[in-house]
Amino acid sequence: MALVELRSVVKRFGDHVVLKNVDLSVEKGEIIAIIGRSGSGKSTLLRCINGLESVQSGEVLVDGVAVHDPKSDLRNLRARVGFVFQSFNLFPHLTVERNITLGPTIVKGLDRAKAAVLAREALRRVGLEEKLNAYADQLSGGQQQRVAIARSLAMSPTIMLFDEITSALDPELVGEVLRVLENMAREGMTMLLVTHEMNFARRVANRVLFMNQGTIWEQGPAAEFFQSPKTDELKNFLGSVLN
Amino acid sequence: MIRELSWVDPLYLILALRWTVAITLLALAGGTSLGLVVAACGSSGNTAARLAARGYVGLVQGIPLLAWLFLFFFGFPIFGIDVPGWLAATVAFSVYSAGFLGEIWRGALISIPKTQWEASASMGLSYLEQLRHVIIPQAVRIATPPTVGFIVQLIKNTSLASVIGFVELTREGQMTAAATLAPLPVYLMVGALYFALCYPLTTYSRFLERRLHGAR
Amino acid sequence: MGYSFHFRDVFAAQDALLSGLALTLQLTATTIVAGFVIGLAVAAAAVYGPRWARAAAHAYVEMIRNTPLLVQLFVVFFGLPSIGIKLDVIPVATIGLAINLGAYASEIIRAGIESIPKSQVEAAVALGLTGRQVFRHIILVPALKNVYPSLTSQFILLMLATSVASQIAAPELFYAGSIIQSRTYRDFEVYTIIAVAYLALALLLRVVFALCYRLLVRRR
Repeated sequence: MALVELRSVVKRFGDHVVLKNVDLSVEKGEIIAIIGRSGSGKSTLLRCINGLESVQSGEVLVDGVAVHDPKSDLRNLRARVGFVFQSFNLFPHLTVERNITLGPTIVKGLDRAKAAVLAREALRRVGLEEKLNAYADQLSGGQQQRVAIARSLAMSPTIMLFDEITSALDPELVGEVLRVLENMAREGMTMLLVTHEMNFARRVANRVLFMNQGTIWEQGPAAEFFQSPKTDELKNFLGSVLN
Repeated sequence: MIRELSWVDPLYLILALRWTVAITLLALAGGTSLGLVVAACGSSGNTAARLAARGYVGLVQGIPLLAWLFLFFFGFPIFGIDVPGWLAATVAFSVYSAGFLGEIWRGALISIPKTQWEASASMGLSYLEQLRHVIIPQAVRIATPPTVGFIVQLIKNTSLASVIGFVELTREGQMTAAATLAPLPVYLMVGALYFALCYPLTTYSRFLERRLHGAR
Repeated sequence: MGYSFHFRDVFAAQDALLSGLALTLQLTATTIVAGFVIGLAVAAAAVYGPRWARAAAHAYVEMIRNTPLLVQLFVVFFGLPSIGIKLDVIPVATIGLAINLGAYASEIIRAGIESIPKSQVEAAVALGLTGRQVFRHIILVPALKNVYPSLTSQFILLMLATSVASQIAAPELFYAGSIIQSRTYRDFEVYTIIAVAYLALALLLRVVFALCYRLLVRRR
């Protein structure tokens, strides 16, 4: 069974329909890049997967959990689905370590010592072990984003969602974050990334989705997708962003 | 001589409201005049003026209003000035109000960015013209919500004039309560009347506040 | 001038003044604790509660904010016995003051809660925290830190407002002053000393609160 399954998903904000009958299937280990103009619905799509947004109709099934069902217990699922935000959203009043151990201790009930071990390991994976006791405002944007990734990794997720995580970073800091993502991809993590980093998508993703006007306008294997776009809209989009 | 609480009593209470409004208006007049001076000194370039204003505000805000009322009430005769009780009370309320209004208005004045001064100076306006056409209009917009909020506080504060015998709404309530031995319904009515007077102003202040921040 | 100041008579009554001062401090302290608890509960109800709780919180705050403290104290003073609760004047004053402070504190705390960016809440929710856990770990302490200055200013105002309790014969500092005044007829001197005492208390409280802040924010 697919890890993530979206069937005929419709999402509305008031009168505005943001997602129009979206179907998507993601297998374990797949790396999917989602591109498109602002307003095309790509962030909303991602947020529907971990239940940050509700859907008006259709089904969202993640790792066996019916996310679209208001009665579902999403808490358990969110422990398995990591989400990294564009604006990092680190907790400013907590140290880096506490930011990372918060989830494992409170949601998974681990004791502090075990959680601390997890935190150190997660920080090692993103290359920031020495920042254990720092606070968010002492770190650069790239470092904060890597801590945010570590925070999600510490929960041992089966799937990671990334919502334009490099868009708010200064260009010279983007590289360090992308390197972390490449390592995760190599280790076999299932990843969905909404991104503007076309070169990264071409290099790392298995499949790329182009969202336009609330639907998946075109999708395909990475190489073919960027080399020979089939629809005019995708051709225009790639033309405008790749120059 | 005890009497029953009757339907006339609420009417007398409502009538007493006019004294509450009267003191409020008088105190506002005095407090505004003095408050403008305090605000001007507090935001001026002159260090002595600024310190004096800060000292005044600190003094007023560090002493309970009741104490101010008594100080003026007993102080005037001591210094040979013979004033009726209501005037002493009004002076006390004015001095007290100026300490708060002055601070509110100083805050509004200094929140106008320096760039506004620079832009209007570059247009060739004099200091007074800058104040009149550019600075004060903006400061007034910022200062209005908290000022209206303070007016509500002032209305409530006039209840303390009852302590020095001034017959406004609260004192009228006290006398009625004593005469009818029904303090609870009387004071609930008194409370309702203050509420009727203050709530519209509070709502207006909140409306102004929302409109101010919505526009930004 | 024809009047000579006689502060000596007032100083002779220093015991009365000191016991009044002690009660003022006691009233202030207990009211701050009670008022803070009420404020926190009402703020939580106003932000997270069901419709009826939010309406009740709003009604409570508006009723207190639009009526004078003096009248509120009278209502509590005469109202409690009428529902069968007979208390000494000090608990009555504390209750009245706490109900008053609670309304103002709740507005301040509510602003603090609403000042925490939604993105913080989202990040915590995305990790799997429940609403209560999010409030406890992510919202409460940062919110209180944000509104600490407003809250402590309100506490100082409360200390000054305890003087109004003199009108229901609570023997705090101001009441002590009026007793001495009626005994010695040194009206002006008495109230000058009282005023200075309050001023000193207000300054002291400001210093104490500033110190507390530095101690509580024990970051780096």
